Amino acid sequence: MIAAALDTKSRLAAILFSIVAAVVLGGLVVGLTGANPISVYLEIAKGAVLGRGLDETLARSVPLVGMALAAAIALRAGLVNLGGDGQMLIGGLAAALVALYLPVPGVARAVLALAAAICAGGLYAWLAAILQLSLGIPFLIASLLFSYIARGLTSYLVRYPLRDPSTGMPETYRVASGARLPAHILDLPVSMAMVIMAVVAVVIVVNDRSGVNGFEWRMTGLNARFAQYSGVDLSRQTQRVAFLSGALAGLVGALLILGQQYRFTDGALLAPGYTWSGLMAAVLAMASPIATIVTSVFFAALQVGGFSMERALGLPAVLTWVLQALIILCLAARPIFFRKR
Amino acid sequence: MTLLQMKGITKRFDGVVANDGISLSVNSGEIHALMGENGAGKSTLMNILYGLLKPDAGEILVDGKAMDFASPLGAIAAGIGMVHQTFRQFPDLTVWENLVFQNEPRQGPFVSADAARDFVRRLGSRHGLEIDPDSRVRDLAVGIRQRLEILKALSREARILILDEPTAVLTPQERDGLFAAMRELASKGMALILVTHKIPEVIAITDQITVMRDGRVSGTLVTRETNEAEIIRAMVGRNVPPTVASKVTSDARPMLSVKDLSVRKGAVTVVDNVSFDVRPGEIVGIAGVSGNGQPQLISAVMGLESATGVVSLDGHDVSSFSIARRRAAGVSYVPEDRHLTGTAPAASIAENIVFGTHRNAVASNKGFLRKDAIRAQARKLIERFRVKAASEQLPIGSLSGGNMQKVVIAREVEHGSPLIIVEEPTRGVDVGAIEFIHQTLIAERDKGRAILVVSSDLTELLALSDRILVMFEGRINASLTGSDMNEDTVGRWMMGGAETR
Repeated sequence: MIAAALDTKSRLAAILFSIVAAVVLGGLVVGLTGANPISVYLEIAKGAVLGRGLDETLARSVPLVGMALAAAIALRAGLVNLGGDGQMLIGGLAAALVALYLPVPGVARAVLALAAAICAGGLYAWLAAILQLSLGIPFLIASLLFSYIARGLTSYLVRYPLRDPSTGMPETYRVASGARLPAHILDLPVSMAMVIMAVVAVVIVVNDRSGVNGFEWRMTGLNARFAQYSGVDLSRQTQRVAFLSGALAGLVGALLILGQQYRFTDGALLAPGYTWSGLMAAVLAMASPIATIVTSVFFAALQVGGFSMERALGLPAVLTWVLQALIILCLAARPIFFRKR
Repeated sequence: MTLLQMKGITKRFDGVVANDGISLSVNSGEIHALMGENGAGKSTLMNILYGLLKPDAGEILVDGKAMDFASPLGAIAAGIGMVHQTFRQFPDLTVWENLVFQNEPRQGPFVSADAARDFVRRLGSRHGLEIDPDSRVRDLAVGIRQRLEILKALSREARILILDEPTAVLTPQERDGLFAAMRELASKGMALILVTHKIPEVIAITDQITVMRDGRVSGTLVTRETNEAEIIRAMVGRNVPPTVASKVTSDARPMLSVKDLSVRKGAVTVVDNVSFDVRPGEIVGIAGVSGNGQPQLISAVMGLESATGVVSLDGHDVSSFSIARRRAAGVSYVPEDRHLTGTAPAASIAENIVFGTHRNAVASNKGFLRKDAIRAQARKLIERFRVKAASEQLPIGSLSGGNMQKVVIAREVEHGSPLIIVEEPTRGVDVGAIEFIHQTLIAERDKGRAILVVSSDLTELLALSDRILVMFEGRINASLTGSDMNEDTVGRWMMGGAETR
């Protein structure tokens, strides 16, 4: 059913081609600095999978896969969600508030905190969709600008009303240990956040491949006019997809707060740039959910390997970001390489 | 005297042979028809001649000299002009601005408007194609815009003129004007190549005919010595009888009833107080020159466009219904543009067939698609409607125009709705498929369905319809039946005038 076999093959070739081209170009950049590109790539590869590298890669994959899928489900249905930052912040804040202040027992608090994050992130994206549907402000623009509002709002809240005065940082109190997500389940190197994200990923993949809704979204992304002609209520669907995309971003915020950082610190959610890496992974995967999972894990490994390479060789880990960007640029440049008369 | 010769032209795309050793020769003063079904390779051949594609083998001779075109600029320099199906014009600029673009007469650093106007007038009168240089292109009728397109080619000193389906957008009267102009140009020694599907035109105006099938030349005919049947045989390799509609009348309750329907776009009323009925067992055709409100009327009937007035289906008022509810209430709809609206070209044939009914019990169960059933249904329709497709999994956009249209029609007919609305049933569709589509529609009518057909092809409407409504400037100005359903009468109403009777 899924598109055409031929198409998938040529897509895969394009993706691999862009990665190879980017590695070569990145190697040239490294070479210009006087370092040895081969040893740099070797350190990145070793750092991503050897020793603690594998754990770190898996941990980093959770938010990255989440943000990449958030971008991908929207893209698949023809929506560009650039507001992942804002939705993640609002979701993270909602999770922190519930986990800190709701007077219910620990586990219930964690569950409610996750639910609150999902609703908050979803509603925040839904608002941007409403602006598109009622006032004609493109969702792409509205969702992006909403991120700045979310940044300002959360920054103010954790600096003043919600601040923990005992630390020198603009941040909330720590979430009680009962309301945190366990970092290990049954002493396995698997965190609760990983399990949740894995379940979400499976649901998204199954819905995309076999679900009636996923089918409608994909067909809308391929030709919105055809979808409307066939009886899809485009307005309702846009709202729904925007909500789900934002909800997933909000969930990522909650998983980071409850599973890793344990408090909402100003700027901490956005510093690793999950939204943008995720968007790049989704674009590289051409919005196919399965491919998006692969590309975002690949980017997570690349980033973890980059830090390890920085420690080993003293070259800045920013190089891995350059690589990510080069991959996308090569992918975009592909039509010119393959143009024929 | 041979002006143009193409010898042994061969062109492959990814292993598929689009042109296989094609030879074509056109004399000066000759109108030469290039015919063939969709996908026969006509466009490829013309794109090679116009320098848009490079042949893998073969040569092009103009005036006996071998040519090698790197781009259309080379072809233009060699005296080849092309009138495209879709006009390449600046609608907001005037005629003279369009005509001298990139070739402007100058006065110092400025464009000399006077010299340009003068140039346009002289060019027009030299070829008998007069045009007002100061008209704004968007205000011109389609026939005049086409004249501008021809003048553009002539202004580059074209001696060989390719016309790609030039009559698709014209009224019969405009078409006659075009034919007169073409004869005039031929009489001055030009060579004209008419790319078309329409056999009556070819018989009416051309001198020689080259027919293509599957990338090869399947017939080289002299128009005076051939006939319709022979041309069709060369195109499809078999005899296709002309469509005959058995006219039935019906007094049943209308399946579709439209009352006082109006659509406004800003200050302009594009559909103006339209009322009509379509009954079970009849095909009602809507004729009209494009731009007289036909697409807006259909959009309003389908609920895709906001309108005032009442639309009733089988006696129930559905005016406030969304398109989904109208479809559920019993309308099927084949839209004008199968690429833009009728399909998602990148999705598979099976997906395109099931979409719209994918929530039914046959196609899905508890929110999950039943892929095997969907594919089986697609295979069934592909076979029943004789769609040429290797697999139901292929992207529908990879099919030829005729096969794609068959899939769209198969899907909509298969819904089993009592009312079927069809826009342009056979636009850009080859002869074999046209025949099949017409037979399908007639068979559905005979099963008692109500069918509304909008078409810019008058021959098609005359062949299919039991009744023809003519739209002009947003109104229905005539409802014609019986002996009034002929090209002359309908054509006159399409031009707006009862007064010309």
